[in-house]
Amino acid sequence: MEKTFLKYLLYSFLGIVFLSCQKEITVDLPYSETQIAVEGRIEQGLPPMVVLTRTMGYFDPIDANSLKNMFVKGATVTVSDGTYTATLTEFCAASLTPQELELFAQFTGIPEDQLQSLDYCIYTSTDPNIFGQPNTYYTLSITTADGENLSSVTKIPQPVSLDDTWFKRIEGAADTLGFVWARLTDPDTLGNAYRWYAMRINTYKFGPDADQQKDATFIAPRGSAFDDKFFNGTSFDFSVVRGRIPNSSKPDDNNSERGFYKVGDTVVVKFTSIDYNVYKFLFQAETQLGNNGSPFESPSTLPTNIEGGVGIWAGYAVYLDTIYCNP
Amino acid sequence: MRKILLLFFLCSTLYTEAFTQGKYTLSGYIKDAETGEVLIGATVLIRELSKGVSTNTYGFYSITVPEGEYNIRFSYIGYKEVDKNIALTQDTRMNIELGSTSQLMEEIVITGEKEDKNTTGTQMGTIELDMEKIKKLPAFMGEVDILKTIQFLPGVQSAGEGNTGFYVRGGGPDQNLILLDEATVYNASHLFGFFSVFNADAIKSVELIKGGMPANYGGRLASVIDIGMKEGNYKEYKVDGGIGLIASRLTVQGPIKKDTSSFIISGRRTYIDVLAEPLIKPTSAFKGSGYYFYDLNAKVNWRLSDKDRLFVSGYFGRDVFSFKNKDLGFNMRIPWGNATGSARWNHLFNDKLFVNTTAIFSDYDFAFEAIQDEFEMILSSGIRDWNLKSDFTWFPNPRHNVKFGVNYIFHRFTPSSVSAKQGETVFDVGGIQRMYANEGALYIMDDFDLTDKLKLNAGLRYSAFQHIGPFTRYYVNNRNQTDSTKMYEKAKTVKFWQGLEPRLAMRYLFKDNSSIKAGFTHNYQYIHMASVSGVSLPTDVWFPSSDVVKPQIGTQYSLGYFRNFKENLYEASVEVYYKDLKNLIEYKEGVSPGDDIDNNVDNQLTFGDGYSYGAEFFIKRRYGKLNGWIGYTWSKTMRKFEEINAGNWFPAKYDRRHDLSVIVQYDLTARWSFGAAFVYATGNAATLPQQRYFWEGEILVIYGERNSFRLPAYHRADVSITLHGKTHKEYKDAETGEVKRQPKRFISDWNFSAYNVYNRANPYFIYFGNEGNFNEGNFKVSAFQVSLFPILPSVTWNFSF
Repeated sequence: MEKTFLKYLLYSFLGIVFLSCQKEITVDLPYSETQIAVEGRIEQGLPPMVVLTRTMGYFDPIDANSLKNMFVKGATVTVSDGTYTATLTEFCAASLTPQELELFAQFTGIPEDQLQSLDYCIYTSTDPNIFGQPNTYYTLSITTADGENLSSVTKIPQPVSLDDTWFKRIEGAADTLGFVWARLTDPDTLGNAYRWYAMRINTYKFGPDADQQKDATFIAPRGSAFDDKFFNGTSFDFSVVRGRIPNSSKPDDNNSERGFYKVGDTVVVKFTSIDYNVYKFLFQAETQLGNNGSPFESPSTLPTNIEGGVGIWAGYAVYLDTIYCNP
Repeated sequence: MRKILLLFFLCSTLYTEAFTQGKYTLSGYIKDAETGEVLIGATVLIRELSKGVSTNTYGFYSITVPEGEYNIRFSYIGYKEVDKNIALTQDTRMNIELGSTSQLMEEIVITGEKEDKNTTGTQMGTIELDMEKIKKLPAFMGEVDILKTIQFLPGVQSAGEGNTGFYVRGGGPDQNLILLDEATVYNASHLFGFFSVFNADAIKSVELIKGGMPANYGGRLASVIDIGMKEGNYKEYKVDGGIGLIASRLTVQGPIKKDTSSFIISGRRTYIDVLAEPLIKPTSAFKGSGYYFYDLNAKVNWRLSDKDRLFVSGYFGRDVFSFKNKDLGFNMRIPWGNATGSARWNHLFNDKLFVNTTAIFSDYDFAFEAIQDEFEMILSSGIRDWNLKSDFTWFPNPRHNVKFGVNYIFHRFTPSSVSAKQGETVFDVGGIQRMYANEGALYIMDDFDLTDKLKLNAGLRYSAFQHIGPFTRYYVNNRNQTDSTKMYEKAKTVKFWQGLEPRLAMRYLFKDNSSIKAGFTHNYQYIHMASVSGVSLPTDVWFPSSDVVKPQIGTQYSLGYFRNFKENLYEASVEVYYKDLKNLIEYKEGVSPGDDIDNNVDNQLTFGDGYSYGAEFFIKRRYGKLNGWIGYTWSKTMRKFEEINAGNWFPAKYDRRHDLSVIVQYDLTARWSFGAAFVYATGNAATLPQQRYFWEGEILVIYGERNSFRLPAYHRADVSITLHGKTHKEYKDAETGEVKRQPKRFISDWNFSAYNVYNRANPYFIYFGNEGNFNEGNFKVSAFQVSLFPILPSVTWNFSF
């Protein structure tokens, strides 16, 4: 906290007092082998979803061609709860009918046009026997068409519910804006970790997205993952900012309403409980996204629970609640 | 065993020579005739015997020679030498005052044969800086800074653009011992390292020891910077001051009782906040925000008797940053700084035995206080020392100079202390963590002439460290949960460490005014500092060796060739060194500050080794209208840690293959002098992203090997012009009509400096910017280099009366 603050203090000092200057430079990086990155999740009551991509050179430009080659296709992916093993099916956006694509978009939370342009591929299953259950370990095994093997284990913990959720306007700022608040009673065992998601399910009244639901999917804001180190076994209130889809071009993600909820919003909160290893990855990934190569942080390798690759295989236990943002 | 034999040999030669009959001792203090301050390192030469000694840190000298009549020359660079003829028939005390040549306004010519300390001393890697010369060199933003001048010396590397931090021969930033009147200064920088805490007006002497650390110093592996404060003028009251772009200074000094006691008090403060205050509207939400730092140095001296002197000195400095935002109900204050105090007592037992006993207090603390609505958080960290030491200097005969002493320090570390509450709810954030330790050392060393050509400096230091309770050790599992704890009661030993530190230096003198020197040192360092980031921040914390942290151990071998030319006008040296470092510390990868809650700071560390080797070339023109030096260092520094870079060797952040400094100073006339500095250094090592992957619609980064990338080289030139005010006023004598000169009481000078004259955009850091949207297939990453300082002119006006 204080280090983060000092970092900003130093930035503003350097910026204001010394009129620092910058220029674009070319950096020649040595060649390095690509790896397989796993973005896998299994949520309570939902099927496992696994996205496999190849890592690329940091400065490689991204065009239609590199995107097409990014997804790892034709891999054999299985998920097991210890007694039952399901083999996941690969779905790629390009091979789906328009109806299937619409379902796929709802399911993944990725807009249809993006799914199509990226030719997004996902491994999942419709077998209800492998849908996520609390207090269960799930083993992920992957064998690619090239014979590379990856594996991982995650746990869906016991869900923890929120005592209460509410909306509170902020004083002094624009009249109708505020944050969502929640009260959490943390179980008396150390090592609980959480991730917060929220989705606005009311529609825009006007503007470019009029009549569309404000959020198409659950969104985790920056700093969404936290553990109970500071508050183990206590009850306390906390507030959460509104997250946004990366690269969002929506007006309210880019104007003064950014980060705020608004009077009139209906917000569904998805409060998930996660495994500690998942928390560690999420926390450091979010820190890395926030740092963006700052010289005041030491560059660190993100932890992973994937044997033979990078990324995370994450189990989520779910508690849902709905808030009406009244004035 | 060999070491013990050597010591035995050393002692036996001492005794046989010490009790030889028919010898008498000449001793005393050498002082500045104008101010009465003692001169450190002034030389006393008995011309008939070609034997000489120099004064110690307290200006005291002692030389024992056979009965006889001698011509003795007392000299010091920049001062007019004094010749005395004495018949030495009994032990004699002789205090000498030397007049400064700059007062005489004539060409400085020094021909003293003893101006060859460079080649004749056993010391290697030791450099004394002349404060008057430092003041004429270009200064960053007009603030004269000794730590920045030190960075111009070979073997010393700057931590970064405009930064006072430095690395010595591959050592880490925590391996430099910075002493101000013998008190340790733990964080010697203001404002993230852009300025050092040393106000040049209050400083009398600066000595840097980067290799061959003698046995009277210890506790650090890389270097010692021994800074002495001025004592104050014993003769008359004097006021010096300066007005600069960012800070102003004022120093008042004078006798309390003429020639017996004196005082000096010196202050410095920045005023960006004061200047900005009227520009901020009273209605602004940010009213009350600001930043400033200040320093206060004070010293009082008494000559209690011919044999006793007492010095009490202190330093107090603070940085204060405050930020207010009324709209958000946010209020924050961050003060940090050092406080030191030393009380020193010099006592002469007899003409041959001198003792200095010092009691020292040293403190560094940092605090962060933030309030937002009902949420309140206070965080602090720091270190505090109580230190007692006695150092004896014994001059048994001219062939030996023996030092021995004892030192005890009680350390109190506060790696973190956090409290947070929201209204009535108090968060469990770990409370105060404190660590306590005793540190002690004993040493003996002898600087002696084995033959006329071969001189040896042999020393042995024994050091010990005891980490004591109260203390709680947290045993943490890989999920960062506390499995169990162990409590230690007050004063109970948590861990005891000790070590023997042999130090050896030798010199062999050749006829042609040149010498070869070799050195070996073995050092223990019991206290450590680890930094999460690449820059020195006020939040960097110190902590002790403990049950999990071993003392750092450094072994250095060095060899050098020293030669003076043209009557010692030029001095030159080539030194090579190899340094081996053990038990170094770093934070593990991905450690976040919150991890030390209900955990020990040292549980977050990983341990490793390092080595460094290099060659240093130095040539200096010592005096004359044109003087200055060229220093060049070729070096390599590597590190290896269990949990960093997969346990493979990697270059240290400050591994720099080439490092060049050129310093020139030219006195055109008595009123105009010019200074210039040029530096070139290999670019810093950096860790850059090598690959990336997609995750939840964002891009995550895989870093390449630690420090595998090099930033572009750093180079820069600075210039300065000093216009000295007239020191005399001329008038016509009414009676004779002669033009007469009378010294002026009020003297002032102007210093104009320009930093980075050719406006080089040196890399400070690299960051990456994204363009486009990868969903649309037009995503591009670019690298940007950020540079800090373009050409920065500054002007300072200094005065004295």
